[in-house]
Amino acid sequence: MKNISLSIKTIAAASVVFLASCSNLLNVEPRQSIDSATALTTQEALEAAVSGVYDRLQSLRMYGRDFVALPEALSDNGRATQKSGRLFPEYLNQPNAHFTAATWQLSYFAINQINLILDAAPRVPMSDAARNNIEGQALFLRALLYHNLVRVYAYDPGAVIAQNNRGGVPLILTPILSSDQIDKPARATIDAVYAQIYKDLDDAIVKLAGVPNSRAPFYATRAAAEALYSRVALHRRDYANVIRFADAALSRGVGTFLNTAQYVSGWRSAVHPESIFELQYVAAENLGVNEALQTTYTTLLELGNRSRTGGFGDLVPTADLLRLMEAEGNDVRRQLYELGTAGRGPAEIECTKFFGKGGQPNLDNIPVIRVSEVILNRAEAYAMQGNTALALADVNRIRNRAGLPSVNLSGPELLEEILKQRRIELAFEGDRWFTLKRLGRDIVKAAPAQTLPFIDFRILAPIPVREIQANPNLQQNPGY
Amino acid sequence: MKQKFLPFLLLLLLPFGAVAQRTITGRVISNEDKEPLPGVTVQVKGTNTGTQTDFEGKFRLNVDENAKTLVFRFVGLRTLEVDINNRSVIDVSMVPDEKMLSEVVVTGYSVVEKRELTGAVTSVKGDVIQNLPMQSFDRALQGRAAGVLVQSANGAPGGAVSVRIRGVGSISAGNQPLYIVDGVQMNIRDDGGGRVSNNPLAFLNPNDIESIEVLKDAASASIYGAQAANGVILVTTKKGKQGSKTNFEFNYYRGIVEPVRILDVMNTQEFINVRIEAIQNASPTASPASVRSTALTQLGFPATMTDEEIAALPTYNWQKEAYKTGIINNYELAASGGTDKTTFYASLSANQQDASLINIDFSRIAGRLSLTQKVNSKLSFETGVNLSTFTQRGPYGSSSGTTAFGAPQYSAPIILPFNPIYDPEAPTGFFGLPGTGKVMIGDLSQNVIANSHFIKSKGLTNQMVANISATYNIAKGLTFKAFGGMDYRMLYTEFYGDPRLSDYFNIQGTLTVNNNYNKNLTTNATLNYTKTFANKHSVNALIGTEYREDFQEANGSNGQGFPTPDFSTTNAAARPVSISGFWTGFRRSGAFTNIRYDFNKKYILNFTARYDGSSRFGAARRFGFFPSVSAAWNISEESFLKGNSVLSELRLRASWGTTGNDQIGNFASRSLYGLGGTYQGNQGIGPSGLGNPELRWERNVTTNLGVDYALFEGRIRGSVEAYRRLSKDLLLSQPVPQTSGFSSITQNVGEVQNQGIEIELNTVNFNTERGFKWETNFNISFLENKVTKLYDGLEVLPGNLSIRVGYPLFTNVGVPFAGVNPANGRPMWYDINNNITYLVLAADQRPLGHSNLSTMFGGFTNTFSYKGLELAVFFQYDYGRIAPNEQEFRLADLGGVLRNGLRYYYENRWTTPGQITDVPKPANNRTEITGRISSYQSISRFYQDASYIRLKQLTLSYNLPSAWVAKVKLNGFRVYAQAVNLLTWTKWTGFDPEFVDLGTGNQGIIPQSRNYTIGVQARF
Repeated sequence: MKNISLSIKTIAAASVVFLASCSNLLNVEPRQSIDSATALTTQEALEAAVSGVYDRLQSLRMYGRDFVALPEALSDNGRATQKSGRLFPEYLNQPNAHFTAATWQLSYFAINQINLILDAAPRVPMSDAARNNIEGQALFLRALLYHNLVRVYAYDPGAVIAQNNRGGVPLILTPILSSDQIDKPARATIDAVYAQIYKDLDDAIVKLAGVPNSRAPFYATRAAAEALYSRVALHRRDYANVIRFADAALSRGVGTFLNTAQYVSGWRSAVHPESIFELQYVAAENLGVNEALQTTYTTLLELGNRSRTGGFGDLVPTADLLRLMEAEGNDVRRQLYELGTAGRGPAEIECTKFFGKGGQPNLDNIPVIRVSEVILNRAEAYAMQGNTALALADVNRIRNRAGLPSVNLSGPELLEEILKQRRIELAFEGDRWFTLKRLGRDIVKAAPAQTLPFIDFRILAPIPVREIQANPNLQQNPGY
Repeated sequence: MKQKFLPFLLLLLLPFGAVAQRTITGRVISNEDKEPLPGVTVQVKGTNTGTQTDFEGKFRLNVDENAKTLVFRFVGLRTLEVDINNRSVIDVSMVPDEKMLSEVVVTGYSVVEKRELTGAVTSVKGDVIQNLPMQSFDRALQGRAAGVLVQSANGAPGGAVSVRIRGVGSISAGNQPLYIVDGVQMNIRDDGGGRVSNNPLAFLNPNDIESIEVLKDAASASIYGAQAANGVILVTTKKGKQGSKTNFEFNYYRGIVEPVRILDVMNTQEFINVRIEAIQNASPTASPASVRSTALTQLGFPATMTDEEIAALPTYNWQKEAYKTGIINNYELAASGGTDKTTFYASLSANQQDASLINIDFSRIAGRLSLTQKVNSKLSFETGVNLSTFTQRGPYGSSSGTTAFGAPQYSAPIILPFNPIYDPEAPTGFFGLPGTGKVMIGDLSQNVIANSHFIKSKGLTNQMVANISATYNIAKGLTFKAFGGMDYRMLYTEFYGDPRLSDYFNIQGTLTVNNNYNKNLTTNATLNYTKTFANKHSVNALIGTEYREDFQEANGSNGQGFPTPDFSTTNAAARPVSISGFWTGFRRSGAFTNIRYDFNKKYILNFTARYDGSSRFGAARRFGFFPSVSAAWNISEESFLKGNSVLSELRLRASWGTTGNDQIGNFASRSLYGLGGTYQGNQGIGPSGLGNPELRWERNVTTNLGVDYALFEGRIRGSVEAYRRLSKDLLLSQPVPQTSGFSSITQNVGEVQNQGIEIELNTVNFNTERGFKWETNFNISFLENKVTKLYDGLEVLPGNLSIRVGYPLFTNVGVPFAGVNPANGRPMWYDINNNITYLVLAADQRPLGHSNLSTMFGGFTNTFSYKGLELAVFFQYDYGRIAPNEQEFRLADLGGVLRNGLRYYYENRWTTPGQITDVPKPANNRTEITGRISSYQSISRFYQDASYIRLKQLTLSYNLPSAWVAKVKLNGFRVYAQAVNLLTWTKWTGFDPEFVDLGTGNQGIIPQSRNYTIGVQARF
């Protein structure tokens, strides 16, 4: 018995020693992740973190498709063909057929990544130039993300249906890395969101001042921040700033305003020469045969070759849009639309702006801001200010370049002409829905779709239901 | 060594030296079936004179004149002593040894007799699941063990199976039991990458299994403390028997696989008809002629097509081409035997089986060797090695559910029926491939049969599971055992998208390959002490420590641009597109003890505790303590019951214990920055997880009450268990507002309760003198599941309405269907106030009063035998599960989109005012004409009862009489015919009521198949 109890004691003692060493024994360090507390302590890590934000923008639910194609389907530019069934509910403006929960999620995830970068950057030893570049890009991207969020989920300043207005979107500006930092934010006012976007862009412009133009168009530059400023200011009906920042953006030498002869070829080159900011996609980032912009817009694989069917061609120009382009004849922009194949049902006239320019089908860079948009922003601002001459100069610049003669209009006719040029120029690039919405206009649609009045709740996207459930302070938009 | 054997040899020679001898002959038969018993040891008592019976049970023995008694010995039978009484012919019949029948049960780190059990353990013997055409034993467990719910995730051979012991306790963490094969804790993660459903348990040939024990309550499982919250499944493989001659067994079966069900879908004419109706309903003012021409144009027909021309259009049956008869083939050879020091078991098997979906199959070669060696009276070794390689061909899209248009398991019933499958003019023979100028019409525009033929989707697993242990008897009753086990798995998967197929035509083909290596190591050391005091007090004490680590790494690549379809290796890709890789792992370690006290075999008290740590938790919270106590009272050992002729066995058991669960991500407690996507070729990083340094074990507290009973000398026997399992401090993935930059954080919050009753009843209904026997084995489990607590006083989990306090997990939530308005054919719903509405809103959703969890399940086997003939009939059932039938939902579109649908909906659709039906009128794009109402899209019309009873197995076998087989020098020869999944009774209208919802509901799952096999087993 003694022996036995001795053995048991020995084993027990051994176990204690064994367990004492267990805490070390149980350490497993991840190899493809790093501790977040020390993640952003070098310039390289910060730069990688900025790449991580650009990457979010490439998603299908961001610029990959939704921010480009949905504004066309929801508005009066695009008609869904039902060839794959995609975008048909959006085209009919069915409730909930709108920007999706993923857009909300990706945007806020990217914003937190930015907040983390902005928080860490001042502490990381590096040159001021490098720090300014990193911070400037982050601020630009945050402004872009918040502006997209606020124009999807909330009304625009000056075009608000009061009884449906639940404010802007939650403003998160501090980094979150642990659960105790999480709170349940309410929606900031629309104005507060715009004020923050302005602030971010003001800061971005300062910080990006030293960044060379060679970074454009795939990375944020000062010109990109200024161009975005002109867009944001237009939404805010702050026309002086539209003009101020449009002027600035156009003076930086980023993006070339193409002439008539170059216009179509501009859309055929991998990098759009007019781009002030463009998202680049490499082969591994091909968005695929189902939802990439090429397959969404066209069945064609080669221009003029109707014997080979590629994509679905789910969204094609409405008769209304085609009529506008054809009304004056010779509009060079009409050349970007051609008859698709009958491979997936009746052949339709399809948009070929996205055409596998990256070297393989469905691989396209996506222009986010082009020179033409900035000119049109400014034209509209001049017109709104009553500065007919300068407004005419800008709109005729767009018209003449398209191969159309100058017009001499004023007042409402001039504004309508500017909006018409904007519609044609930026068609299938993700502008139309937001333009109609910020102007408070009804979305006029032909059967079988029905006109969507501006007072209708479907003008605003549903905030994801799980967000409403997880955050009692967050108010859902009416109707959902 | 030679010298040691010498005395034995001399002893053997002794009889021949004696002069006064006589010969005794005789025959030994079994009392049970009156069959002869070969291999019975016949010995003269007190001497070494002996022999063994031959194949006909006969023996001949020369004995001393003064020999008085013969002893007959046979494993499992009661040893018989017969006085010779000057007889020269002695025939005996032997009866089963009840003491031996008192089964031994493998529990954690030890083996106990069943009568010593204090917790809830179900044992399934290997012969019950022998020769089933199933590649992994978990699937074969279905319906065999009370309290164990087994549901196949798909019908792919060797595919994933969901096993839930006593309900679902965890909401976000894993609910998988711990599998231990010969002491090796298995890694059971499916790394098949979706397309190939890879069941890691398929490495083991089920025919190598001796027994499977399921530790169900916490008292039994808590010796595995931290990993045992979901129960433990212990697998013991076959071993050689000490002192037996070498036995060989050859086993072969062959059979066919056929689809269980083909859906009755619309033909071409019906589809065109209903499509026209749908468009007309959407545009009531449009003229029928224009609607007709619109519909026809859209379907690729001339607008001017006449009714006669439509009537002449063919219908192609895509399902018939997708679901076909396949084959099953199995070969095995096993050898086992042993001396008094060494035993061995060796087997080699080849198994091959098709799914009922074309070009999906499984083939395995597995070899197993186990050895035991007694070095001396103190030291012995035991080792086992299992090597297997299996290859699975997978489908386009996931086996366990997909909505990929290119996947035949999803698309075959919904492809528009006028699309031809084959095209004799096309170079490939298939219709509608890119470049042929012909395209398939409709949403489903891929030739899925061509996809099935041309893709290469493969998973190759090479796995080694090995164990070694040394046992040393330190002193009498005190044993030390050291154990080491290794589970090493290499999984190679590839997917080749053939450049001829529409998805891969534009990129000239794509090839993704992945290599996945998993190294999983378990070691433990135990010290066991057994002592009986004063013949009454018996004590068994065990202490031990254990360490486990499991590391996984993988790398892969994707390339595109293949010159021709004949090139399909990575080096043939013109464009390397991406590379991938990852590394992950965890460690666990702990110490445990088990003390059992047995008073006079009447009262048994058992105490178990384990202190366990896991690397997955926060540094300060890694260790948890998991104690349990249990007791048993063998009432039948009490004087008032002992020897009772009716009630031969009665035992009460009670237990309480705790177990833990750490089935979360390996780094879920850490705040980490991980790799994001890339931009401009630069790798991005971003936060990948919201850390919770306070994260700790999820705990299960289980109480169990059990009764074991046997009546009429065991002709009726079984057990009844009642339990309550409370899972608390759940490792809940708690949704956080995504405005934080994160979706969820894992917290220890919430509680789920499972309670239930399990009944096992085994009866021998007939056992006649003439050899007819009818046995019945029945088990049933009742289960009630309930969420009892969430967090922050919440009644519903944000983002998941089906998890709510007071309701079972996976409660179905929706807006109840109120039928079709007879006046206009529109579907109606009950809003939250039970008013009828056409428009379904999110706010109208509520619990529908049923859940996706089974509430009653089990199995029922009847075995009839007469002489060597045996018929086994096994039913398996699963009741109380109501699930949304997503597939039906898509098949009820009625021309709303360009997909085919079920004929039932066509024939029952609303067409005329006043018509009473539950099928609404066809609606273009599933939408009402106002464009505002998309309530056609509501799934709640399609909740169906997924309960079923299945004639799972029907086996007719014949053991050839041993007299016959002996003539060809065999020990036994059995032939059999078997059917699996022969008949299913269910209200479910999809392919199969048995499925596991992995996010796509029941859409695109490879269904189970019906199998017929015939086989032979020869022992020699």
